[in-house]
Amino acid sequence: MKTFADSATSFIASQSDAASRQGAFSAFEATGLPTTTDEVWRYAPLSELSLDKFSITSSPSKHTDSAFATDLTKSAGLVIRVVDGYCVNIGDLPNGVHAESVESSTSLSGQSLINRYESDTFAQLNAALAPSTTVIRVDAGVHVEKPIIVLNATSAQSSFSRTQIELAKGSSATIVEYFEGGENALVVPLSEYSIGENASLQLITYQRLNASAWHVARTTGLLQRDARLRQAVIGIGGYYNRSRNDAEFLGTGAENELRTTFLGSGKQVHDFRTRQFHKVGRSRSTLLSKGAVADESRSIYTGVIEIEKGAKRTDARQTNHNLLLSPHAHADSVPNLDIRENDVMCAHASSVGPLDELQRWYLESRGVSRPDAERLMIQGFFNEMLTTLPKELAQLVEQDVTSVLSQVKVVTP
Amino acid sequence: MSSTLKIEGLRAEVAGKEVLRGFDLEMSSGEVHVIMGPNGSGKSTLAHVLTGHPGYKVLGGSVKLDGVELLELSPTERARLGLLLALQQPMEVPGVRPYDLLHAAGASEVNLHERMVEEAHKVELRPEVLERFVNVDLSGGERKRAEMVQLGILQPKFAVLDEIDSGLDVDALGAVARRLQLATKEWNCGVLAITHFRRLLQELTPTKIHVVSEGRVVATGGPELSEVLERDGYEPFRAQSA
Repeated sequence: MKTFADSATSFIASQSDAASRQGAFSAFEATGLPTTTDEVWRYAPLSELSLDKFSITSSPSKHTDSAFATDLTKSAGLVIRVVDGYCVNIGDLPNGVHAESVESSTSLSGQSLINRYESDTFAQLNAALAPSTTVIRVDAGVHVEKPIIVLNATSAQSSFSRTQIELAKGSSATIVEYFEGGENALVVPLSEYSIGENASLQLITYQRLNASAWHVARTTGLLQRDARLRQAVIGIGGYYNRSRNDAEFLGTGAENELRTTFLGSGKQVHDFRTRQFHKVGRSRSTLLSKGAVADESRSIYTGVIEIEKGAKRTDARQTNHNLLLSPHAHADSVPNLDIRENDVMCAHASSVGPLDELQRWYLESRGVSRPDAERLMIQGFFNEMLTTLPKELAQLVEQDVTSVLSQVKVVTP
Repeated sequence: MSSTLKIEGLRAEVAGKEVLRGFDLEMSSGEVHVIMGPNGSGKSTLAHVLTGHPGYKVLGGSVKLDGVELLELSPTERARLGLLLALQQPMEVPGVRPYDLLHAAGASEVNLHERMVEEAHKVELRPEVLERFVNVDLSGGERKRAEMVQLGILQPKFAVLDEIDSGLDVDALGAVARRLQLATKEWNCGVLAITHFRRLLQELTPTKIHVVSEGRVVATGGPELSEVLERDGYEPFRAQSA
């Protein structure tokens, strides 16, 4: 059997930009996988991760859309299919929208991927092993009416997909990045969003991978003056679900609303990381992270708000609520502030606890049974997060959450 | 069919303090009973104990609805038997929609939305308020009107109202009182209203008024009793109980 390194090396050798890929892979090999002594990986079950279980595929698997993907794409204006990291199909492009699959080793920040993600082992792997970059561009002033949906399916043992979305000045769009499949696979997506002056992107990441998948994802939003990024990240799948979502405020008046949601069941580990980096003043970030852990699942939320010296009148808020649905489930919440400017508004709050006993009594006192009351409340916990989503998508996600919840046993004190 | 709610010798404590000390009351369908009394007399405790609030501990006594002992039943079972509590401060349940609450509470889905809208009109509540999560971002008046929508859909045999008049403006109070009065006719609802104020009684005609002091009923009379209370306050009744 080939080792992970062998299959990676032969994959890289077959690519046209082998040199830069090899550079990234060497950088990865130099550091190796992180360990739990590294603070940012402290809670990950890394001792269970053996890369040799995952080989690199040299072509995409045969693929047909799942029933869920079919429902999801019904209201789409453009569908892009990515299988095992390979962009296999780009639908008809709406006016003012461009999409293509390109060979690229450059980050939307202008840096090389290797330099941009220097300290991130998995991002280095993506830089070395993503077959291509799926690029979506929206022209200046264009308002894309229907959602653009990127269907990301994994059938192979590993998948390294890379997506770069660029909204030019004054444009707007709604884009969904959807992930499924990934049985016993390693799924490492890397996405970047560049939102131009006064442009507005609603971005939804929905991850419902197989419960055996290792998912290590990273997204970065780069916001120019008066740009708006409304991002929702929802994770219900994976064995280990790591989702790092960063926003960098490069222009004044930029706004980022980030909502991350997860539902843990079985022995899943959900590991959410955020970084709101306010480089300039008068920028605003609102972050709401909410998740529930059932069975023996665990979750970690770690977020940092970073405010650069001189970024006056920045307004940054970070909230994290965790719902414990079983005495064997566990949630950690680690909010951080790193503020180098005095003239700012900054707040953070976090909570970990079971369902509210009095709310449950209130429902029961109307005649709702205890199991129904708990189901309504847990669904409600998520519904709050789904209110900002396009209606069709919110309904689909709500159905998914309901179906997962019907399989978990809720244990309340 | 007429139903009976019978409370006998009810004793209960909250936070280790005995607040109800042998409370007796009996009422039938279609009647309006009003409980009045000073702060701390046990009025709110009664409402919470009747519906099985987890913060209250029953020490003794009995509460029977048509002969069925309620104190042994869960809050859900009590509600399903026909007891509904309207709270002084209706609780926010984020993420849960009134429609889903009512459906889970046993309301038929047949025309449920239309019936909710109809009920909203009866208490002059904008129907779109019912699209929001239960009691979230509602004003005090809207919350109580929204609870009347629940009442109209669930049609309990007995409605217990815990200071439903507190924090309500005159218009909202009138709307709520008229709705309750109508309920006594519409499905012969029995109304047990706990209040500090006489205002509620201007639109809701009481069958009986009970004055409560130190955890039990110390005087019972007809509507005229409220005038005595208005004139003399609770002090003479407190003296009687000593």
